[in-house]
Formats: sequence, C-alpha cells, structure tokens
Amino acid sequence: MIMRPGQRLLMPVNPGFVWLTLVLALLAHMLLSMLMWGRAAWAPDLLSIVLVFWTVHQTRRVGMAVAFVAGLLVDVHHAGLLGQHALAYVVLSYLAIMVHRRLRWFGVTEQALQVFPLFALAHVVEVLVSLVVGGGLPGWWALLAPVAEALLWPLVSLLLLAPQRRAPDPDENRPL
Amino acid sequence: MARATLGREPPAFFRQGPSAFSRLLVFSALALLVMVADARFHVMQPLRTALSVLLYPVQWVAMRPLLLADSARSTLGAVAGNETALKSLRQQLSTQSQRANLTEQLLLENRRLRELLALQQRMEPTALAAQVLYDAADPYTRKVILDKGEVQGLRLGAPVVDELGVLGQVTRLFPLVSEVTLVTDRDHAIPVQNARTGARGVAYGDTSSHADALELRFMAANADVAVGDLLTTSGVDGVYPPGLPVARIEKVERRTDAVFARIYCVPLALVAGASQVLVLAPVGVDAPARPEPTPEIKPARNGGRR
Repeated sequence: MIMRPGQRLLMPVNPGFVWLTLVLALLAHMLLSMLMWGRAAWAPDLLSIVLVFWTVHQTRRVGMAVAFVAGLLVDVHHAGLLGQHALAYVVLSYLAIMVHRRLRWFGVTEQALQVFPLFALAHVVEVLVSLVVGGGLPGWWALLAPVAEALLWPLVSLLLLAPQRRAPDPDENRPL
Repeated sequence: MARATLGREPPAFFRQGPSAFSRLLVFSALALLVMVADARFHVMQPLRTALSVLLYPVQWVAMRPLLLADSARSTLGAVAGNETALKSLRQQLSTQSQRANLTEQLLLENRRLRELLALQQRMEPTALAAQVLYDAADPYTRKVILDKGEVQGLRLGAPVVDELGVLGQVTRLFPLVSEVTLVTDRDHAIPVQNARTGARGVAYGDTSSHADALELRFMAANADVAVGDLLTTSGVDGVYPPGLPVARIEKVERRTDAVFARIYCVPLALVAGASQVLVLAPVGVDAPARPEPTPEIKPARNGGRR
C-alpha cells in the first residue's frame, strides 16, 4: 500500500465498531436535535460526518445503501418529507466515494478543507428538495451548518480512528 | 474449485459490484420515488409507521434525562418560589371560581335557550392529556411530536390545545406517538373569529416574517381590525370547537395599493415551548356527513370516431 510519508500503519478495523458508531451517531443526532438545538438550521449533522468518514475509510463496508436507510430514519424523526435526507445522504456518500482515495493522502486539517464542499452540496440538495415541494428557505444561519460539520471532521476522525491506532499486541504473534 | 480456476470472472479482490455512479443513480431514483409517493400519493404511511415504531424506544430513552431534570428543577425551585406562586395561584383560583360559578349558570341558561330555539346542542369536548416529546428538527415546518398515539385513543385531525390557546392539530398518527402541525406552520390554516367584532376569517401560519407567527389573510383593507384584538376559533371548520383563543393581533398594515390588509398575529399558545398539552376530540366526526353533490348531467355526445 502506498502511504503518505509519516503516516502510521493502522490496525484492521473491527466491523462491529463501524456499525456501533453509525448507530451511536444516529442516536446522538436525534438526541441533540430533541434536547439542545430544536429546529436550528445551523446545527451540524453528526450522522452525516460519521457516514462520510466511514465511506472514506471503509468504502467496501459503508456505502450508499447505509446512507439511504439512515436518511429515511432521519426523515421519519424530523417528520419531514420522506426521502429528503435519504437523497442528500446518498449524494454525500457518492461524493465521498469519489474522493476517498485522494482524501487519505492528506492530514486531517487538509481533509476538513476538502470535505467542506461535500457537506455544502448535501445541504444544497436538501434545500433544493424543500424548494421543489414548496417549503421556504431555511435562512442565512443554514450556511453555518457545513462549516460546523467541516470543523468537527478532525475531532470525529481522531475519535473514530483511535481504536485502529492502538499498539499491536506482540504476544499474539510471538512464536514462543 | 473447478469453477474458480476455469471461470472468467474476476477474483473477489477486484469485484466491487456496480460502479459508484450507477449506484448513485439507483438510490437517487429510489429516493425520488419515495419522495413523490410521500408528497403526492400519500402511500408511505406504513413505512413511516414501521420506522417510527423502530425509533420510539430511542425517543423514550432520550426523554428520561430531560424529565428527570424537569422534576428536579421543579422540586428545587418549588422551595424558593413557593410563597409567591401560592399567592398568585390563590388569586387566580378566586377569580376562576367566580367565573366557574357563573359558567354553570350560563351553561344551564344556554342549554335552555338552545332547547327553546331548537338549535343543536353544543358538545362537551373530551380531552386527553399528552406531553410534547420534541420539536421536529425540520427548519421548514413547525411540528411537534406527542407521546400519545393511536393505542391511547388519539384520532387523526384532533385539535391540540394548551392552557393558553390552540396549539395545532394532529396530522399524522403513529401507534405510540403522533405528529402535531402547529398553528404557525406555513401549511396550516385555522378559521377564526374576531372576538370584538364577530368577523370571521382564516389565519394562516407564517414563518417568514417572525420566528413564529400567524397571518390573518383575505381581510379587506378597510375591515374593522385593530391591534390587540383576540381571535378565537369560529367552529365552522368542524375540527376545532368554537371559542378557543388562538391569537392576538400584533400589527395591521393597510396599503393603498392592496385590496387586502396584511395582519400579523402572535399565537397565544406556547408554540415554542409547550410541554403539557390537551388533545380534544375532533368536533366534526359526529356531525352528519356532507350531502353528495348531484352529478352534473353531461350532454350526450354523438358522432364518435370509428
């Protein structure tokens, strides 16, 4: 595998951890919207960050089908139009698949810069859908949402890659 | 293993399924299909119900810390503000009980008068207490989710009120929760009556000008509407019982070039922070069905093409 200089070799990922974090992200997204920021348009969408993260790092496991189902669940929770978030997440997932080889060559700060347009496009899809079905514009505060998501990217990648950065246990492969 | 050696298929390492773009097309088409089916044909209710039942345990768990914090705050706060609260409540009680005594008498009088006039009796609305689980996070709509559903006997279209006024209407019913469209939602309209003049009108939800407001539309520019007027439900819609307070008029803009005045109202109910609400039974359910319109007789066409 070709790697950027100075990059650490990661341990293989535990598939259970991937699914667990996705479910936890969905829960966190729901809880935060219920308890903290209500229907504020600037609130970052945690689930979409985790979805993009795993689509970039585990493209074979997490893809558009997962994004679609997650989007449907979010739509039901938001009591909005069914399929609106599903479409946004599917587009997001496609863009993440498009950039996933390039993105892993960069450090997390540069990655955050590069995922910003992805999140912005996903929000644009959402707004377009709501315009088509006759809803209004969410207001200027909505412009902050992709910025907040891009700012959260380094934190999310630090947390989600932490299990793979553990030191390998030498006792497992020791001959004696 | 003969197949693996002789077959022309690529080994599993390269087999990645359909390309990303074709998957994008498939899933986008599926999402569009779901959207159209939901918005146009309203056939997605079973899927929505199934997913909402799946999500319910999460919402239930999520509400626990909030309820605990609420009860803790009320317990702690009760000690401090007990005296003043008690005093004001006593005052309220004395005025309310006076009015209640009057009400009994008025009810009796009203019933007798209605009997005399052979008018239809006014129905006593039955109410069911419910709690707001959360505000729907969609920034384009104004909806809240209640913790009662079909199982507890809620009905579709039931009006929802809080202690100050009308909150909205149950627009989606799930087994354990239900969705209430608030009066401030842009798709919500409520027939109202001006309590001062008796003029009827329709108030629409308006999320554009203020955060949460209503707009009284289609009132002529010279109509008798003043700032501070109370709007109550008129009862002509067969959904809301008449006489519930809805909103108070905040601003009236009369322009010379417009036929209608622009009238902004603020809702009386706590649309942003209601937690305990009452769900009333819809009024129109027991009303007689609307008569079938007589079908128009079409003139017979002759000379069809062969």
